[in-house]
Amino acid sequence: MHIPDGFIPPNICLAGYALTGGVTWYSLRQINRDHYIQANIPKASLLTAAFFVASLIHIPIPPTSVHLILNGLMGTVLGYYAFPAILIGLFFQAVMFQHGGMSTLGVNALILGAPSIAAYHLFRQRDRLRGEKQLLTSILSFASGAGSLLLSAVMFAILLVTNISPDMDINAERTAIFISLGGYSIQAIVEGVFTVMLISFLEKVKPELLKS
Amino acid sequence: MKLVLDRYAYLNSPLHRWQQGYKLVGLLSLIFAFAFIQNVWLLPIMILITCILFRLSKIPISFLIKRLRYPSWFILAVIAFLPFISGSTPIFQWGYLIIREEGCWDALLISVRFFCILTLSLVMFGTAPFLSSIKAMRSLGLPRVIVDMTLLSYRYLEELGEMLTTMQRAMRLRGFQAKSLNRRTLKVFAQLTGSILVRSYDRSLRIYQAMILRGYGSQGSSQKNYWKFEFSHNNSSLWGTIMAVLTAIFLVVLETILPSF
Repeated sequence: MHIPDGFIPPNICLAGYALTGGVTWYSLRQINRDHYIQANIPKASLLTAAFFVASLIHIPIPPTSVHLILNGLMGTVLGYYAFPAILIGLFFQAVMFQHGGMSTLGVNALILGAPSIAAYHLFRQRDRLRGEKQLLTSILSFASGAGSLLLSAVMFAILLVTNISPDMDINAERTAIFISLGGYSIQAIVEGVFTVMLISFLEKVKPELLKS
Repeated sequence: MKLVLDRYAYLNSPLHRWQQGYKLVGLLSLIFAFAFIQNVWLLPIMILITCILFRLSKIPISFLIKRLRYPSWFILAVIAFLPFISGSTPIFQWGYLIIREEGCWDALLISVRFFCILTLSLVMFGTAPFLSSIKAMRSLGLPRVIVDMTLLSYRYLEELGEMLTTMQRAMRLRGFQAKSLNRRTLKVFAQLTGSILVRSYDRSLRIYQAMILRGYGSQGSSQKNYWKFEFSHNNSSLWGTIMAVLTAIFLVVLETILPSF
């Protein structure tokens, strides 16, 4: 889910950089309020690398396979560190594997990063809402994983399809958006279930990872 | 997972001698100017500038082709569809399939822009050690938290990649085969990802303790400005940047004054 270089006009690229700058500034402001920032930077960095590596895992969805996006999970585990972590991950992908690009880095960071912050806030409701804890955790995990991927997919499809060519017919644009969202919906369900399983695993094995 | 970014970072070429801070400013200006191009007549100029810079960098063409392999599939998929769905002037019709002129030009514009920007990005980060690029970005104003996170992530990326490869090999040796999507397959992958996260977390605690022992976060270490990249008064680097920025401005001006195609 990366927009490559040269696919969208420069005003969108620049707007993407400006908005990413704003969200990064806000995230860093929240991070700087953290009392344990010095200890949390190595944790967030290693987890950034781990998420980057985990996104290389391919899940079979016959006849093809998909790689996980994990932006919702990053939000639930890393909190506000998720936005810089996604920015860094996308930078690595652009520089090392030529996925995405330098001119579209801002837009791509916003597409994947903004939903991860939304997922963080959604998952935090676990501590506020009353009810059966395990069920609540599963519902919020699914909503964080699937919802953030779907939100990213909507932003990605609309931005790419409406900007790729000025001569494109409005009906063709609409059809392309719906087709791509159809594909991403299946992936969102898979990622939602995957997030539920992973959060359940982390709660049993390393619960402090979800609290730190 | 092998990170081969620094493979050609120590060659001797004008692009390698161009100081990374100046190079980032110059080449990023060109990248944004390329992204600005909508006029097909400017494509040959873009290709010429890219070829000159790539040739000067002395990076082997095989390295570029290897890096282009994966993203090219996405580009091919897009440019194969655009002539059929974009535009209104038909140039060829076969049954329901109509190839349209505007779609063909859009496909050409997008693919050339993509390949030129990608090549420049490769030249920008492939002609200097990755560490120098991060130092240069720190000097250009990248926040310290992001710099620290980038450096630490980069340091452990390859190791964690190796860890994933080992764990996946161990899973295969124990008979796991991911051929279809079912609850069990997904659970195994979730546990694999969870194990990587848990191991990384545990490791980060040990790394933090080691960093503290080496003075991380103390008053003295923060005053050293170790990561600061010095913009020395290197005339050739400065002139290179000025020329790149002027070329970028020239392209943007041409794009604005030339009639649209």
